[in-house]
Amino acid sequence: MTFTGAIGAACMFPLRAIIRACVALRIHPNVLTLVGVFINFIAAWFFAQGEFVTAGFVMLVANIFDFIDGKVAEATNLASRFGGFWDSVMDRFSDLSLFIGVIYLYAQLGRTDYVMIAAFAMMFSVMTSYTRARAESMIDKCKVGFMERPERIVLVMIGAFTNRMGAVLWVILVLSIVTVLDRIYYTWRALKAQEAAS
Amino acid sequence: MTMQRLLTLPARAVWHALFWTFERATWQYDLMVIAILAFVWLTPPDWLGDPTASGPGLIGIILERLR
Repeated sequence: MTFTGAIGAACMFPLRAIIRACVALRIHPNVLTLVGVFINFIAAWFFAQGEFVTAGFVMLVANIFDFIDGKVAEATNLASRFGGFWDSVMDRFSDLSLFIGVIYLYAQLGRTDYVMIAAFAMMFSVMTSYTRARAESMIDKCKVGFMERPERIVLVMIGAFTNRMGAVLWVILVLSIVTVLDRIYYTWRALKAQEAAS
Repeated sequence: MTMQRLLTLPARAVWHALFWTFERATWQYDLMVIAILAFVWLTPPDWLGDPTASGPGLIGIILERLR
């Protein structure tokens, strides 16, 4: 087993108990998604105040909700196409709010350079999701590129807990640009192959 | 022979790192994670002009010791 696989398996132990509790309480998965977004707004507020460790802990709680909503939907047979759409839309609110929190902090500190780095990281994070969503309306699958949402969230939490947000933003920015380019290239290639076949 | 095969091994490694198609929990994913964590934790925050980070980072500590 790889070390990232082992970490994932270890994290699943407490999460299974939370999922079982939510299923037993018959909590609707869409409510879990919404609660996760509101908790992420609180994390964003802590980022804006420069309280990174607190923000990291709040993000941890928010992302538990974010992670379990899909599993609860499956377990309670409440999985729906609208649920998938709702989840994706709420994810964007969560992502953007966290970036806005960090941008606010850097603006308060008068650091326009890091305001721009965070703003571009935000732009390419949104484009990472958009390119895949748009591509998959034309081709079967577009799951290429490293910097997807789980990687981004874990990285921001690492940056918050270890007070290395600058380095984390650089990584998110560079790898998000690469991911967007990967998706554009992959879609171009897939569409060319489709045209050649027809 | 495809263009990709003509490339040397380091070039192919760079290509696969950039045009990422690997799943999570593979050894390639682990390597990427290690590289990212090394950059985040070892790079001295001063080099990046990090507005909030404190402490020199591991590379900074080593450089200070060597001086």
